Amino acid sequence: MTELLTQSETNLRDVATLAVDLAARRGASARASVHHEGFAKIAVRDGEVETAERSGGQGLTITIFRDGRQGAASTAGFERATIERVVDEAILIAGHVQPDPDATMAPADWLAFSGPAPELYADSPRSPDVLLNAAQAMDRAASEIVRSDSQLRAGESVAVATEGLWALATSDGFCRSVQRSNDARWSVMLAQDQGGSTSAFCQSQERRVDALLSPAVLAGCAADRARQMIGARTIGSRRCPVLFDPRTAATLVGELAGALTGHAQYRRMSFLPDPVGRSVAASHLDLSEDPFEPLGLASGGFDSEGIAGSQRAILRQGMVEGLFLSTFSGRKMGMPSTGNADGFYNLRLTSSTASGDWQAMLAMLGTGLVVTEFQGGKTDPASGNWTQAIKGLWVEDGQVVHAVTDVTLASNMLAMLTGIRAVGSDVERQGPIRTGSILIDDMQVGGTA
Amino acid sequence: MNGGDLAMEIARDRVLGPAGLDEAAIARALGQLAGGGADLADLFFETTNLRSWRLEGGRVTNGSFAMRQGVGARAAHGGHVSFAHSADMREGALQDTVGAVRALAGRGDTMRHPQGIALNRNAGRHDLYPPIDAVALKDATAWIALLERIDQLARAHDPRIVRIDANVRAQDTTILVAEADGLLAGDVRPMTILAVMVVAEANGRRARGQAGIGRRAGLDGFDAASVEAMVANAARMALHNLDAIPAPVGEMPVVLGPGYPGVLFHEAVGHGLEGDHHRKHLSAFDGKVGERIAAPGVTVIDDGGIAGQLGSLGIDDEGTAPDRTVLVEDGVLTGLMQDRLNAGLMNARSTGNGRRQSYAHLPMPRMTNTFLANGEADPADIIASIDRGIYATEFDGGQVDIVTGRFNFTTIEAWLVEKGKLVAPVTGATLIGVGHEALRHISMVGNDLAFDNGIATCGKQGQTLNVSVGQPTLRIDRMMVGGQAS
Repeated sequence: MTELLTQSETNLRDVATLAVDLAARRGASARASVHHEGFAKIAVRDGEVETAERSGGQGLTITIFRDGRQGAASTAGFERATIERVVDEAILIAGHVQPDPDATMAPADWLAFSGPAPELYADSPRSPDVLLNAAQAMDRAASEIVRSDSQLRAGESVAVATEGLWALATSDGFCRSVQRSNDARWSVMLAQDQGGSTSAFCQSQERRVDALLSPAVLAGCAADRARQMIGARTIGSRRCPVLFDPRTAATLVGELAGALTGHAQYRRMSFLPDPVGRSVAASHLDLSEDPFEPLGLASGGFDSEGIAGSQRAILRQGMVEGLFLSTFSGRKMGMPSTGNADGFYNLRLTSSTASGDWQAMLAMLGTGLVVTEFQGGKTDPASGNWTQAIKGLWVEDGQVVHAVTDVTLASNMLAMLTGIRAVGSDVERQGPIRTGSILIDDMQVGGTA
Repeated sequence: MNGGDLAMEIARDRVLGPAGLDEAAIARALGQLAGGGADLADLFFETTNLRSWRLEGGRVTNGSFAMRQGVGARAAHGGHVSFAHSADMREGALQDTVGAVRALAGRGDTMRHPQGIALNRNAGRHDLYPPIDAVALKDATAWIALLERIDQLARAHDPRIVRIDANVRAQDTTILVAEADGLLAGDVRPMTILAVMVVAEANGRRARGQAGIGRRAGLDGFDAASVEAMVANAARMALHNLDAIPAPVGEMPVVLGPGYPGVLFHEAVGHGLEGDHHRKHLSAFDGKVGERIAAPGVTVIDDGGIAGQLGSLGIDDEGTAPDRTVLVEDGVLTGLMQDRLNAGLMNARSTGNGRRQSYAHLPMPRMTNTFLANGEADPADIIASIDRGIYATEFDGGQVDIVTGRFNFTTIEAWLVEKGKLVAPVTGATLIGVGHEALRHISMVGNDLAFDNGIATCGKQGQTLNVSVGQPTLRIDRMMVGGQAS
């Protein structure tokens, strides 16, 4: 039983269908997307509630297609007069823009009128009272840890819950809807040493409450990460191997996937131009996509055009087999949609080469740098130039020597992808991406020691 | 003219009218919201219309329009903030939203203001931006023609420019804020941002360039000369980057050009001087007010009242007129930026820095237009003073860790300098430092203060706002430059 939603799934489908019907009466084909969310969040620090929030949101976006032209308009109001207003606005926009033969609705026979719809909602308690109890439990666990460690100070403990509904209708008669849920908890811990303060956090995000990490584990993990950074210092500039922990490794996988989206490809804003059939990464690497994982954070039965994705290989032995395409970006490149109008679904990076757990990866690193956090920096999407400020650990002979801060790390994504020596079995999930730690042979470290 | 009774009239028309609300209904809701002994309570009503046109592949084939509206209700008891918001602003929904806040606050049913709160104070008028309708559809043809002109200008600039994307985004926001101390104030905030991104290709290399102009104005705020300069800047950046050599690595002197590089002070100093981080003792500058934190000659100011800048506000999102807050004066830390909540808890007064992304977000102390004031050095002399270092003129954003004061930002246009001369453009490099150390290493401040072109944004705790940053050319003696060249 939902505790946060105030609209019904039927109502959202009715709004979407009405918008499409109103467009049809004006002689336009259309696609209407309607969403509604309920949200609650409680943040606790030092035994006191800092913020308590409860809210709802909703929106309708209509995209109309007429005479080879398109226009889009959106609103938060679901009254009939408001829906008529946005349909008219979208049609007026289509009257101003130039035609684009690629900007048409997806052919009806591409749409997922039926087919597998992965479970995205779990019935869990999500009232503000439940969240308050959860945040207070984390805060108590954090206080407990801090009592026995004078170097630590507890930061905020936060519990968040979201429930959502989404309905999609098109003038081809497509009308499907989904219910989604999302629960998150995070704990912040501060550590102090002679060099000042540092903060660390640990987060758990799931679609069901009972899959979340426990308050003790979250607070303990934040404390471990904060302690780990005590005494952090810079290291001198050098070239050396670099091991990205699973969290930072997921960011690298996300950048690879981002370069393979149709949006990046057709705009030539990708460091991997014309990649299909080309080897772009070390030959022991596979990257697979799965839209249908039950309760996956990036699962879905269809995208915002109504097209289903598929379980497939994106990289096989380092060679690109698939891109992430919408109908529009696909047409720009002479290919069909892959059902990825909203980006990629759940991804998993695997390697056929020998590796092991975190300790084994440290041993494989030997002497080099471990990256545990990106503090900021950029990947140039056009050139692949990659530069970051990082926090991490200095490792010698597989043993952690000291924490590292105030260093930069630079390379080029093309060199980094081909330079991946191993992927650890220490697999973690960060949002849509699953990967173990990633070991790259040779990167430029910048520091002043 | 904007603000004051003029903005109230427009807000009644755009915000209250469609929801069937009047001031008596707001007064009743506010009385309910402030119950249970709240120290601070407010209602924030907003309607925002957005219109965009996008050029791809030489043609404008895409446009969109969006309408957003809603009310955010907040009550604070000490540091405990309860917040709810709703897209429905009609009186019944407003009462439900206020009821949700009261339930979250958990302070019982005591009604201190059963008759409602008399709304007897207004904000004054201001001249910072006009109360125009920036999203008017009548401008569509002119905007589309302008985007096509941008495409032609970029294409004509150089045959190596192979891809041009441009867009314009116009936004019209009308706000109405009601505070439990009796303030009822409105503001009408137009904003238009024009942006161009280009890709250059030659000899198997690819590089990008980008530029933009943002104004609190409509179409007439974008003259031909400004647009031509914007396109030339983006094309020049892409062509420079096509020829870029790997950036050096190591500690070296850095010269920052005028304008957007002022993001350094936004990140390295500004965020650390926001009141909330001080109240929670999280800032690296905590307890340092009154201390020297930079070399003499370094003055950093946040001023929300500069005409023409995108960070300017007639009133902030709590109805307070923005101050000119001197954050660092001649090297000494002098001021903090405050919103009502943090000022109240720190026995200070709001400096008009209470800002929120929308009705669906809580206000926080945020920057407006933050800049380093002019010095006396000739910019050419500053570059000539470098034996070996970097001259950076454009950045691709930056971040700061409030707790440690460590900041970083990444160049998108920079040169290697040797013996006082620009040697070659270099690829993007991440520059890192610690706020208070970087401030001490400023050795030359130029006389060419400039602001960014209206495209700076600031993110804090998931909320994005438009701000302005600025500085003259300046030299920092020691900074870590993280490039690829060994």
